[in-house]
This record gives sequence, structure tokens and C-alpha cells, in this order.
Amino acid sequence: MIAFRALRKVFGRHVAVDDLTLRVEAGEVVALLGPNGSGKTTSLKAAAGLVHPTSGAIEIGSPGRPATEAEARSVLSFLPQRASFPDALTGHEILDFYRKLRRAPEGRVRDVLRFASLNGASDRAVATYSGGMIQRLGLAVALLPDAPVLLLDEPTAALDPDGLTAFYEVAERHAREGRTILFTSHQLGDVGRLADRFAVLVQGRLVRVLTQRELHDRLSATGVMRLRLRQCPAALLEAVRRHEPAADWVGDELVVPGPASKRPGVLSLVHGLDVEVCGITTEEGRLDTFYTALVAEAEGRGHAS
Amino acid sequence: MTRLSFRRTVALCARQELMLALRSRWTQIFAVVFAALALGVAFSGYILSGGRGVQDFARTAASLVQLVLLLVPLTALLLGVLSLTPGPGAAELLYSQPVARPAVLVGRTAGLLLALVAAEFIGFGASGLVIYANAGPEGLTGFFAVVAASVVLTAVCLGLAALISSDAGSHRRARALAFALVAWVVLVLAFDLAALGLASMLRSGTASRLLIVASLANPIDAIQTGALLAIEGTAAFGPASLALIRFSGSGARTGVLIGLSLAVWLVVPLVVASWRLARADI
Repeated sequence: MIAFRALRKVFGRHVAVDDLTLRVEAGEVVALLGPNGSGKTTSLKAAAGLVHPTSGAIEIGSPGRPATEAEARSVLSFLPQRASFPDALTGHEILDFYRKLRRAPEGRVRDVLRFASLNGASDRAVATYSGGMIQRLGLAVALLPDAPVLLLDEPTAALDPDGLTAFYEVAERHAREGRTILFTSHQLGDVGRLADRFAVLVQGRLVRVLTQRELHDRLSATGVMRLRLRQCPAALLEAVRRHEPAADWVGDELVVPGPASKRPGVLSLVHGLDVEVCGITTEEGRLDTFYTALVAEAEGRGHAS
Repeated sequence: MTRLSFRRTVALCARQELMLALRSRWTQIFAVVFAALALGVAFSGYILSGGRGVQDFARTAASLVQLVLLLVPLTALLLGVLSLTPGPGAAELLYSQPVARPAVLVGRTAGLLLALVAAEFIGFGASGLVIYANAGPEGLTGFFAVVAASVVLTAVCLGLAALISSDAGSHRRARALAFALVAWVVLVLAFDLAALGLASMLRSGTASRLLIVASLANPIDAIQTGALLAIEGTAAFGPASLALIRFSGSGARTGVLIGLSLAVWLVVPLVVASWRLARADI
């Protein structure tokens, strides 16, 4: 469990996080979303005990312990945004160092190396690693202690497709095993695939928390069905508008915005009036469009759809 | 989940830092340069005074003191901040582990100390072997005093480097390096000039007290006084060291005062660095 209670962090005059209250339950996967500088990394670092709250508190585990205490850190693993390691050490030496720090069994190094798939490079100096290999090594270090709480700051940045697949498998397995995962990402694909809930931060403030179901409903509500019809009877549009007032003709297409649940009713009307359908296309609401609108609304630049 | 104890964290971090420092090109360069300069001192001192061959341990030790006082603080301060100021990502990963931050700092400083002392021993060892083979063991005690002074000076300067780099959250290695250079200039060059300049403007008694304080307040001066006292008594003393020995009344009491001063310089920077690091945002 991770509990942010009215967390506020100020660096000089800059308010990085303002009054963040969020609870991530055991076994839950939550994505922190937001534009650059919105306070995602500061929030994760505060949960990892790296940043001291100006006010408020963060508790980790059950029973909850203040994040700044070493006991709290013993139940979590943190992956920073840009993990870096001493150039002169090999991947294996680094993993062995962190294994000893976490008192993990020796076999764990072999296990996480299998995940990291460093292609036989574990005995090479880190100086020879690519950005993607360093990111995999960072993930391997984070997975070493088998901690019940994972804090991952942009875990998929710089990963190649193989690395992404491996990461998704591990993250989904961890979620199935009941571990708590709080992660940030700019890859909305990660978010849609992994998260049970989404917390959106803008300018240091939490502006929206949505469950996967709520998000799905919202995206579905912003979908659209386009029907290409042989005839365009006026009675059809009137009938359809009783279902969906925003329906309209665009060229030779009947465009019906709205959730997927209303579409069978519209199709029944079309068949009822014996109008021949030449083609149907449907388009669901997109996460990136929804997210952009949400952020714009929070920043006072527009309206969320 | 069980946590690693403070002592084991120190040992683990020290081992890793020692391994890193021994693989570092900078440490290897320091070992080679220090050995070359120490051998150069052993050979050149005698040649400059019109002799041939290698000068004995006593003369070499007296010449080596100046080399140690210049080179060791510079190297320890610069390599110290380079090693102890971790880059972004490295510090975050390390300090998010369930370990006490001071244990990591103390361990890394200890590992670096071992590596630098090993590099210095290579230099001292090379010149010592050459001197022993050519001039015999006369003055060996003084030579060992310089070796000891070098080790203590390295430890003091690494403590200062730890203090400079303890603001790890800033990730500003360049700024830490600049601070280290300023610290070296102040301790090795500017401090004595300022103390002597100020003393020259004061009345005799006040000036003497100022010089006594100055010789204990600056670890470089304290080590210089201690090393020279061990090598050749008060013959090579400057005004501050002379004022100190007049004040304490004997070489033994001067040694105690120097020991106390160095103990403070060894402990206080590390304690303050640990305190700052424990409170820093990383």
C-alpha cells in the first residue's frame, strides 16, 4: 500500500507537488500521468524516501511506515527515470552489489539477468552498454529484491520491442501476484495495458483519478460510427437523433457520435426503414486525445471531452 | 524484510568503492606520478647539493613533506568529490535502498581512502626501496612519519570531499569540483599567507596567539608541524609552528595538540556530511 496524504513539496519558490492525496492499495497498479514538470517524478521520489515532504506525509506498506524511514524502503523497489551505474563495473558486479545490499539470495541475480536479457553482456563493463541495456539493467536491479511495492519512473523509456515485451510480462506477473505498482509513463500504450487506475497530475496538483472502467466508458462515449448508405431519407436522421442528438449527415455518411452501446439501436432503425448500408466504420475515443484534452482543461487551455 | 546493518553496509560500500577506485585511471595515474615524484625527490635532492646517487631517508623525508602537502590534498579533494558526488540516477538508485545514507557515505569514503593510500604506498615503497638499497636505513623513522602524515592528510581531505559532495541532491559535480579546488587553494596556499599577513599587523602577543590558532585550525599546517617535528625537530619550523611549540612548552604536548586538531578534522567533516546527506533531497 502507498498512501500520499496531502503531500506538498516546494523547491525554493517552485511548488513541485501540491496537496497530493492518493492511496494505492495492495495489489493495485496505478499510473501517474501528466506533462513534463507536473510533479510525477517528485511524487515517486517522495514515495521512495529520496525527497523529504515540505508538508504532508507518505506511508508505505501495511502497517504504513513513513517513506523516509529505511524500514519503509525495505518493502519497495525504485527505478529512477535515468538509471546510471559506474562505468568500470560489469552488469553482474552491479547486480551482485545490490543483491547484497538487499540481502537477496544469490539465485536472484541469475533470475533477473534472464529477464534483463543482456545478451551475454553481464560480464562486460557498463561503459560498453547501450541506453536500452542500461535501462534493462536498472529494471533488473529494481526486480532483484522481489519487493511487494514497485515504484517505476518511466520504466519503458529506451526499451526496444523485446525489452518492452519482457517488461510487460514481468509487470503483469507482478500485478497477478498482488504486488503494488505505481509508475509514470509518457507511453499511453503502457498505461492502457498495465494500469488499474490513472492519476493525472498537472502543475503539481492531482486533477483526475480514473479507474480502467471509467476510462473505458469515457473513451467509448467519445467514439463515433459512420454509416455509408445508399439513400438518405430525412425520416432516418430524425429517428436517429432521438437516440443521439448529435447525429448528422456528413457527405454521404451518417455520422453517429456516442458510446458503442447505442450503435445497435441505430442500426435497427436503419434496417427498419429498409435503407441499404454500403459500409460501416467505427472509431473509439483515443487515450492520447482524451489525455491531451484533460491536461488542457486543467491548465485552463480548453475542455476535456 | 531484513535490513543490512550499518557496519555491513559500510563494508559493502567500501569494497565496491575500493574496486572502482583501483580500476580508475585517475588513481592509477596518481600512483605513477606520486612514485615518479618521490623517486625524483630521492635522486634530485642529493644531486642539487653537489653529491651523486641517492640521498638518505632523513633528507628525502624532509623534501617529501612539501610534495605530500601539495599533491596529496589536491588529489584527495579532487578524486574525492569526483567519486563521492554520484551522478543522477546512480544516487537515486543507491539511496532508495533500505540502508542508512551515512553508512553509504562512510563506506565509500573508506574505500576511496584505502585505494589512495595504496597508491601512495606504491610511491613511498618505490622510493623507499631505492633509498634503502643505496643509502641504508638511516632516518627511516622520519620517512615513516611522512608516510603516516600522508595517510592522515588523505583521510582529512577525503572527509572534506565528502562534506563538499554531501549535497548529493544537486547533482552538481562541476560545482563540487570547483569547491574542492577553492578548498585546496585556501588550505594549502591562502590560509598561511592570510595568517602571516594579519599577524604582521598585530602586536607581538596577539600575533603569536593568532599563529598558534592558525597552525592548529588548518589541518595542512598541523600535519606539516607534526611531520617536521618527527623528522628533524624544530629546525625547519616556520613562525606559526614555532609559536605553537613555545605555547605548548614541549614537542610531546605539541604532538597532543596536533593530534586533537587532526581528530577534529577527521571526524567533524564526516559527521556534518552525514547529517547533510541524511536531510538532502536526492
